[in-house]
Amino acid sequence: MNFQKKRCVAMLLAGGQGSRLLVLTENTAKPAVPFGGKYRIIDFPLSNCVNSGIDTVGILTQYQPLELNEYIGNGQPWGLNRSHGGVQVLPPYARSKKSEWYKGTANAIYQNMAFIERYDPDNVLVLSGDHIYRMDYAKMIRYHEEHDSDVTIAVRQVPIEEASRFGIMNTNPDGSIYEFEEKPKQPKSNNASMGIYVFKWSILKKFLMDDEDDPNSDNDFGKNVIPAILHSGHKLFAYDFEGYWKDVGTISSLWEANMDLLGTDPEFNLYGDGTAPIFARNYALPASYIDAGSKNVNCLISEGCEIYGLVRHSVVSTGCRMGKDAVVEDSVIMPNTVIEEGVIIRNAIIGEGCTIRRGAVIGGAFHEGEKRQIAVIGKDHVIEVNQVVKPGEVI
Amino acid sequence: MKNVMGLVFANIYDSSLGQLTNKRTQASLPYGGRYRQIDFTLSNMSNAGIRHIDIVTQYNFQSLMNHIGSGEDWDLQLDDGGLEFITPYSVGQSNTFRGKLEAIAAISDAYLSRGKEEYIILADAAVICAINLDEVMDAHIASGKDVTVVVKAGIANGKKQLDLAVRMDDGGEIADMAVDYAAPDNYLASMGMFIMRKDLLMRSAAECVSRNRYRFEREFILREWDEGQLSVNAYEFHNVALFNESTEEYFRNNLAIIDRNVRHSLYRDGLTIYTKVRDQVPCYYGENSEIDDCIVADGCVLLGSAFNSVFFRSVKLSTGASVRNCVVMSKCEIGIGAQLEYCILDKDVKINAGVKLIGTMEHPVILNRGDVV
Repeated sequence: MNFQKKRCVAMLLAGGQGSRLLVLTENTAKPAVPFGGKYRIIDFPLSNCVNSGIDTVGILTQYQPLELNEYIGNGQPWGLNRSHGGVQVLPPYARSKKSEWYKGTANAIYQNMAFIERYDPDNVLVLSGDHIYRMDYAKMIRYHEEHDSDVTIAVRQVPIEEASRFGIMNTNPDGSIYEFEEKPKQPKSNNASMGIYVFKWSILKKFLMDDEDDPNSDNDFGKNVIPAILHSGHKLFAYDFEGYWKDVGTISSLWEANMDLLGTDPEFNLYGDGTAPIFARNYALPASYIDAGSKNVNCLISEGCEIYGLVRHSVVSTGCRMGKDAVVEDSVIMPNTVIEEGVIIRNAIIGEGCTIRRGAVIGGAFHEGEKRQIAVIGKDHVIEVNQVVKPGEVI
Repeated sequence: MKNVMGLVFANIYDSSLGQLTNKRTQASLPYGGRYRQIDFTLSNMSNAGIRHIDIVTQYNFQSLMNHIGSGEDWDLQLDDGGLEFITPYSVGQSNTFRGKLEAIAAISDAYLSRGKEEYIILADAAVICAINLDEVMDAHIASGKDVTVVVKAGIANGKKQLDLAVRMDDGGEIADMAVDYAAPDNYLASMGMFIMRKDLLMRSAAECVSRNRYRFEREFILREWDEGQLSVNAYEFHNVALFNESTEEYFRNNLAIIDRNVRHSLYRDGLTIYTKVRDQVPCYYGENSEIDDCIVADGCVLLGSAFNSVFFRSVKLSTGASVRNCVVMSKCEIGIGAQLEYCILDKDVKINAGVKLIGTMEHPVILNRGDVV
């Protein structure tokens, strides 16, 4: 088949196990974890692709892919149901000679080189499936092309005291990278990698093949491929990104990112300026009902809900029911959860499809100066009448 | 129900809905915070497995076509012949129709006879309900009658003019039938839904129209039933059915959905109401908002107070604004301190700060699309 050339193909790494999200990723790949009332984490990089004019996206899945595959479907909600390009879910598959799981991020792309080759792209954009942000990749690709860069890595400034938690790019005044340090003890700069890379496809292809031939490699972009390209004297540039970006790989960061959506001038505005919407698979649900006895302040409540209780500083997702005298504060309620009368939920994340029976108490108040303890209830759990789930407890 | 096709009339009560249907069909009137009225008609048909639906529309159909698109949100797709729009001048004789019979006769050859279905369900978008049409079809077959009309008790009140009213005898047979009749409360009101064999409908429409009879209920159903040429079965629907045939009814029935029983009757398991999906963010409720007994769609930013009202998508309610007993359609903006009672705000209405508008239940204040007050 004759495929028309694409300027850029995006490869979205969605295979991570996400074990730091504990029970929330027990049966769900991290990118499929619900976020922000009606989204899933993967909606953010996917929508960024669409809003940046990238219409060919490969999604590399491996761990618990079922739900994610179903969610992506034919890509129609994102406008990615194209006859040429569009979205393609790429699980590991059996080949004639050997079949194997993705050994690392680089190996996942290596195993799908044939997919990329079909579009003969100039550049390949490699993305992570677990970050919340809004970014115009087109600007980054333009920067990459203008600098005739071999690899361009998006970076953001982090407080220097936090820099040792990130991959740090040390750059020359012109933005070119002379050194890459993974989680340095003594960081020389605060340019943290966001896990967003634009590669010249010819360069990436060569180094993926070299990496595959190296039996000592972990087949990881950050650890192996980027350092190898850097050490062989190629041109790497850092692309500065300003704006909201959050890795939601842990319970506390997932909770924080949800809370960042609240307020009249939120840290991260889901609506943005209206020009770059976040697309999601939408379901046919009625508008929500808010009872006279309810009180909802500083919160997001999505469609398909029936709310009789009090919601404060929280995110309540699509299709939830909440009974009279129930209280939800500083919490995230994922889709289709039922909260019965008199339940009290504070500082918690409640997974999809849970039932919290009458009088149960989940989590507790947060006191200034202490570390916030987030209680977590996994998907489809039932919490019994009057059951108490302690602050920080995970079920 | 592969053996049944649907035929939907989109403009039936346009003239009695005043300014709300100035620029749209009755079928595309917004309802319930996120729907258009036709969503209920199409979803009922789609849920019964009907895959071939023709929509007859005469004027103002741009918003309707825009809403329905290819029909994929209802699992009906234009490209496999699932959904067809029949607009004026689609076929030779079909400019505008004086009545449903004329429309049916005009489109018989080009549209109705094309499908293989034996049966046809006629409906309009005036009655909001969630109905299991499989059951209606089964009842129709079991009755052995020529036509089944779906009827509802409790609508006739001696005042409301009914298109078609029937009185039943103790054996469940139709004892009396009348058209354009302010029937007393022992009559049941037709919901505008009819099931019959498609060939019978096409033949009858041709016969009637050739004798200058074009009114479906009066000059076909009633007349031929009276003359003993047509046997008619009435299927009584027992769940909630809301008749939106006038502005007042439209207003009352929009607010009716706030009632739990009405809501739960319209949104039932297995009878999902589909609509065009849009990407809107969840509704944000501000620090000092007070929202009581309201229906709220996505995309709203509610900072003021509201009671017994319906908010369609992306409405902005400013701090200190108060909305009571109102229907607020999408993208309206209500300024700081504004006070609204008993109003219908059509789409994109802007109410400036401090404005006060008060209507009544019987005579709501109606603002046209894009009005700035």
